[in-house]
Amino acid sequence: MIKIYFLLAYEFMKIGVFAIGGGYAALPFLYYIQEQYNWFSLDELTNMIAVSNITPGPIGINMATYTGFTTAGIFGSVIATVSIVFIPFLFCVSIMKIINKYKTCSYINDVFLGLRPASCALLTSIALKLLYTTLSNSNSAFHFPFKFDILSIVLFLILIIPFSFMRKNPLLVILFGAVCGIILKTLY
Amino acid sequence: MKNNLFEIFKIFFIIGIQLLGGGYVIVPLLKKYLVEERKWITEEELIDYYAMSQCIPGIIAGNIAICCGYKIKKTVGAVMAVAGVIVPSFLCIIILANVLINVVGNEIVQNAFWGIRIGVIVLIIITIRDIWSKSVNSKFSYLLYFIILACLMLLTISPALIILLSALIGIIYTKLRGEKND
Repeated sequence: MIKIYFLLAYEFMKIGVFAIGGGYAALPFLYYIQEQYNWFSLDELTNMIAVSNITPGPIGINMATYTGFTTAGIFGSVIATVSIVFIPFLFCVSIMKIINKYKTCSYINDVFLGLRPASCALLTSIALKLLYTTLSNSNSAFHFPFKFDILSIVLFLILIIPFSFMRKNPLLVILFGAVCGIILKTLY
Repeated sequence: MKNNLFEIFKIFFIIGIQLLGGGYVIVPLLKKYLVEERKWITEEELIDYYAMSQCIPGIIAGNIAICCGYKIKKTVGAVMAVAGVIVPSFLCIIILANVLINVVGNEIVQNAFWGIRIGVIVLIIITIRDIWSKSVNSKFSYLLYFIILACLMLLTISPALIILLSALIGIIYTKLRGEKND
């Protein structure tokens, strides 16, 4: 039993370090764990991914908690969750320490001169990619001919028009999206 | 400025509960709670941390939370922040997993999450508009923005690499401009 805890810690630290990018980057690692250790079945893993998608929180964290829980109970889920953030935590804190220490150094400011437009461009590319996959109702990247899902476009417009003018509360946008999603799909 | 440890944990816990539809929502949420309501960090800092989180290994939403927490109250602040973001999802899975498994295939839940996904996109777009003036505000930044956007859309290139390159470009640009002024 103790061995499972160590293996969980090791595997999830590995995911924390190597799964760079969104939570979905962790998926191949989870399939690997499934094959390697057989702690859970493939069906269970599919369920875990689905549930992680509808629970609040970053998907990567949800999956760590859930896989740990399925494998070795509450203690297992604590180990998996802590492990997945442990090494990134050390990285973040060290980088923040360095930035704080050299705040006055002009190089740090020059770096951010390049980072800010890059940051904005990254967000834009995420928005465009998500927009494409959702509005065209497909999971793949760009491909011709574009086939757009009218209902998704309608909901997108319903949400973006009022919320661009309102003082927005992120939760309100999400909840309003959920309610409209149920209503629209039921009507059609 | 009252930012004792429990307060930090509480705010990040509230943010954690609202992280529906994936980690991207954390940027608008941090903007609302930390930048606008508490004024614990500035909008520029949030943009910086988002960029940094891309090139630090780990889950992006977690990384931004850690950086913000560190800024608010050093290492303890970072611990509180990451704990706050994790605990809601942790509790949710531990307590509700068995219920959620039965609900996941339900049509109404699926439709709600279809709506949530579109809501997330709308939120990201609104956030871009809000941070635009703070991050893309000179000829240099416009140029960099469109080049990077084109690279990200057309090539399969790691965001981490893009961020590191643009950091380098920032340094080179200032150097070149400095020499021109001398």
